[in-house]
Amino acid sequence: MASAEQSKPRLLTGKLSKAGMLSFLSAQGILIFFLLSMFVFSFFSEQFLSQSNIMTVVRQASIIGIIAVGVTVVIIGGNLDLSVGSMLSFSTVLVVDLHDKIGPTNAILLMFVLTLMIGAVNGFLIGFLRLNSLIVTLAMLSAIQGFVLIYSGGQNVDIADQQGTWFAFFGRGYVGGIAVPILMFGLLAIVMQVVMSYTGYGRRIFAVGGNPMAAVYSGIRKNWCVFSTYLISAFCVACAALVLGSRVMGSQNNVGQGYELLVLAGIILGGTSLLGGAGSIWKTVIGVLILGFIQNGLLLMGYPYYIQWIVTWVIIILAVWLDLANKRKRLFTTHS
Amino acid sequence: MSFIKGFFRGRTSIQPIWVFVIALFIFFSFMSEYFLSFGNITNILVQTSTIGLVALGMTFVMINGNIDLSVGAILGLAASLAVGLQEVSMTLAILAALGSGILLGALNGFVVWKTGVNAFIVTLGAMLGVRGLIFLYTDEQSFFAMNFAFADFGTSTIGPFPVLAIIFLACALIMHLVLTRTGHGRNTFAVGGNPEASIDAGIRLGRHMMINFIIVGFFAALAGVLLASQMGAATPNLGRDYELWVITAVVLGGTKLTGGYGSIVGTLGGVLAIGILRNGMNLMQVPAFYVLVILGAILISVLIIDKKLNAPSAKEVRI
Amino acid sequence: MFKKTAIAVSVIMMSITTAQAETTYRIGITQNNVGVDSYQTTYESAFEAAAERAGNVDIVVLDAGGDVARQIGQMQDLIQQRVDAIIIWPTNGQAVIPAIRQAHNAGIPVVVTNSKIAEAGLEFIAAFSGPDNVQQGISSAEMMCDALGGEGQIVQISGQPGYTTAMERAGGFEERLAEACPGVELMETQPGNWNRERAQRVMEDFLTKYDRIDGVYSGDDNMGVGALNAANGAGRADEIIFIGATNFAVGYDAIERGEYYGSIYQSPVDDAEAALKTALDVLAGEDIPKMNFFETPKITAENLEEFDRPVF
Repeated sequence: MASAEQSKPRLLTGKLSKAGMLSFLSAQGILIFFLLSMFVFSFFSEQFLSQSNIMTVVRQASIIGIIAVGVTVVIIGGNLDLSVGSMLSFSTVLVVDLHDKIGPTNAILLMFVLTLMIGAVNGFLIGFLRLNSLIVTLAMLSAIQGFVLIYSGGQNVDIADQQGTWFAFFGRGYVGGIAVPILMFGLLAIVMQVVMSYTGYGRRIFAVGGNPMAAVYSGIRKNWCVFSTYLISAFCVACAALVLGSRVMGSQNNVGQGYELLVLAGIILGGTSLLGGAGSIWKTVIGVLILGFIQNGLLLMGYPYYIQWIVTWVIIILAVWLDLANKRKRLFTTHS
Repeated sequence: MSFIKGFFRGRTSIQPIWVFVIALFIFFSFMSEYFLSFGNITNILVQTSTIGLVALGMTFVMINGNIDLSVGAILGLAASLAVGLQEVSMTLAILAALGSGILLGALNGFVVWKTGVNAFIVTLGAMLGVRGLIFLYTDEQSFFAMNFAFADFGTSTIGPFPVLAIIFLACALIMHLVLTRTGHGRNTFAVGGNPEASIDAGIRLGRHMMINFIIVGFFAALAGVLLASQMGAATPNLGRDYELWVITAVVLGGTKLTGGYGSIVGTLGGVLAIGILRNGMNLMQVPAFYVLVILGAILISVLIIDKKLNAPSAKEVRI
Repeated sequence: MFKKTAIAVSVIMMSITTAQAETTYRIGITQNNVGVDSYQTTYESAFEAAAERAGNVDIVVLDAGGDVARQIGQMQDLIQQRVDAIIIWPTNGQAVIPAIRQAHNAGIPVVVTNSKIAEAGLEFIAAFSGPDNVQQGISSAEMMCDALGGEGQIVQISGQPGYTTAMERAGGFEERLAEACPGVELMETQPGNWNRERAQRVMEDFLTKYDRIDGVYSGDDNMGVGALNAANGAGRADEIIFIGATNFAVGYDAIERGEYYGSIYQSPVDDAEAALKTALDVLAGEDIPKMNFFETPKITAENLEEFDRPVF
C-alpha cells in the first residue's frame, strides 16, 4: 500500500511542490541524513573519519544498539519497554559480582536466567494481564533499581583479576580485527532482522502490533506474542550487560540509568513508529549509529556534550515529521 | 460485593485512590509518633506541591490523549531562569521563568498539532533538548539567590498554613472547575475519548491540545519557580525524573493513558498517596533501597486492582 | 586510631557532664546519594556503627537519592521531628543553604559533612567536617608534576558538574598545576560524573582526539580506573601517568600493579566518624573550629604499604 503510493508521487498542497523529492527524501531520508552528517563532521574534524574513531564510536554505540534491537521488537508488537535501563544495571551488577564468586560460566548463565525472568514478569503483566506497558515498565524501572541496590548493598562490584579472565572477551576482545561488542551488535541485529522479516513469528508480531483485534480473530495467540517480545528484550539486555560488565570489569549500581531514553531516541530516529505494527531492525541500527556519530562529531568539534541533546531534539522531530508528511502526502495536519 | 465494586469503580462519591490515601494515613499514624501532627501534614503538602502542580496540568494533557515527558526539563529551566535573572530584576526573572514554560508548552503543542507527530516523541525530544538548553544557559553551574527574600517566600506561611500548600490547593480547585465546568474541559474529554468523532462534531482538536500543553508548561514552570524559592537556588539537574513521578501520580489517580477519562480529584489523591508514602517511610526509616521497590510494587498493584474491578463490566457490555 | 580515641574521650566527657540526666541525643543525617558508589555506602554503615559505639546517640538516617528537592524535604522533616542536631551531606553546595538556614533559625545546629557549602551559607552552620578538597587537588597537581618531570600534555576527567567536591578538586588542581608546573599543559577537561563507564567513554574520545597524552587527572579513582581501562584497550596505558583522588580498592590494586601512579587516601570511615564526633562536640557545647578537615595523604607505590586496602 505504502509502496504503491510512493511510486506515483503527485503534486501536493501547500508549500510542497516537489512531491517526488519529498517522497524520496523520506523513504531514504534517514540514510541520506546519516551520510550528510558524516560529511559535515569530516569537514570540521580530521580525526572523525579515521578508522580508529569510527571503530570507537560504533563500539560505544553497540551497548545501546544491542538493547535497541530488543526494544524495537517490543515496540513493533505495540508496546513499550522503559525498564531496560534498570534491567541493564541489574544484569551488569549481577554478572560482575557473581564472576568471582561462582566463576564466569555460571555467572553468565545465572545472569541470563534471572534477566529473562524479569522479562517474563514484564511479559506476564503486559501480555497476559493486559496492563498498560508504559506504566508497568515505569514501575519496574523503579522496582528493579531498588532490587539492584538491595542485592549489592549499594557497593560497587569489581572483578579482581581483570587481565586473566576470559570474561574480558565480550567487552575488550577482537575477532578478525573487529571488536566483539560490534560483532555481537551486528549478529543480533541480523538475526532479529531475519526473524522479523522472513518468519511466521515475525509476521505475527507485526500483526499483533498493527491490529490487535484482527490478529486475535485470525487465530494469533496475542498474549504469548507480547510475552515473547519482552523475553527478547530481556535477552538483548543480558547481552548488553555482558559487554558492559566486561568492558568496565566492574559496575556501579546505576550504570544503566538513562539508557532507556537513549535507546528510545535511537529507535525513533530510525523511524520505527511507537504505535506498533511497523518498523524494522536495520532502521534502528542506523538510528543508534546516527546518535553515536552526532555525539562523537560534536565532541570532536569542541562543543560541550549537552549540545548533542539539543541537536537530537530537533532531528528526532524532523525525522518523524518527514516520514509522516510523506505518508499523508501533506506537510501539515488538516484539523484545526 | 457489587456494592463494593460500584464503590471502588469511582461512580460513587469516593474514588479508590482516596480509600488508599486514607488507609495509608491511618497506617502511618500508628507506625510513627511524628506522622500525625499539623506540622508534618503541612510538610507533606509543601513537599507534594511541586509534583502536584505539574500533575494538575498533566491530567489535562493525558485526558486529552497525549503525554508530556518534557515537564521535568521545563521545571528545571524555569527554576534556573527564576534564580539566574534575579540580579537583573525579581519581577523579570519570574516572568521570564513562567514565560519560558508557556512558550515551550506552546511549542510542544503546536508541533503535535501541526505535524501530527506523536506527543510521546515530540516531548521525549524536548525532554532532552530543553535539558540541553538549561546546561547551555547555566554553563553547568548552580545558581544561588543573593537575597533571602526569595527563599523566605518559599518558606513563608499565612497564619499556620504554608504559602506553597495554599497555592497548590487553590490551583487544584481552579483546575478542577476548569475541567468540569467549562467548554474547554468538556472538549478535552471529548477529544481524548474519540478524536475522530470530536473532529466530526466540529471541535477544534488541535487548539484544545495546544492549550493543554500550554497549561502543563505553565504549571511545570510555576512548580519550578516555587521549588527554586523553597531552595533559594537552582541546579541544572533539577527536575530530572520528575516526569516519571508526575505520570505515576496521575495514573494512580485514575486518569486513563488512552485519554477521555480522569479527574483532578483523583490526581490530588495520587499525588498525596506518593507524598504520604515517601514521608511515612522516611519517618519509619525504611531504607531508601526498599522505597524504590515498594513504590514500583504499589503502582503495579493499583493497575491490577483497577483492571480486575473494571474487567467484569467490560464483559457485560460484550454480552 | 587517634580519632577513635577522641570520640571515646568526648563520649566519656559528655557522659560525665550529663551523668545525672543520661541524655540521649537524636541526630538526623541526610546523605547525598547512598548506593551511587561504594564510598557513600561505606560511609553510611560506618556512621551507623560509630553511633552504635557512642551509645547515647539515636540516629535518623535519610538519603536524598541525589535529588536536591528531596533533601530539602528531608531537612524539613528533621526540623519537624525536632532532632537535636542535623548532619547534612549536601547534594548541592548552594541549593541547600536556605534549608540549613531554616534549621539554624529553628535552633537546630547543622553540621555539614564531606562536601562544603558555598560561602554564603557558612554563617548558618555549626561546623564543617570533611576532607579538604582544594588541598586534594593541589596534592594531585604536585604528584602529576613530579611524575611528569614538569613537562607534558594532560587531560582531566572531572566529577559531577555543579558539585562542590568536583569544583574544588578541579580548581585546586588547575591552579596549583599552572603555578608549580608551567611546562605541563592541561589540554581538555570533560565531566565523568563520578561514573566509571562514562569516564571510560570520555577517555576513549580523548585517545582518538589526541595523539599524545602524558597524564590523566581524574576526580576520583572510580573514574580513574575507567580511564585506565580505556587506555589499556587502546594499548597506550604505558605512556600515560594516571592520578586520581579518593583511593578506591580498584585504584589501590592498580597502584600495586604499577599501572596507576598515585591517588589521595580518603577513608569514608574517618569521614563518618569525624562527622559524628563534630556533631557531638557541638551538642556538648565545646568550642570547636568551624572547619574540621581530616587528613587525606598522598598515596603512591612508595608508601602503599602504610595504608590498608580500602574496603570499597
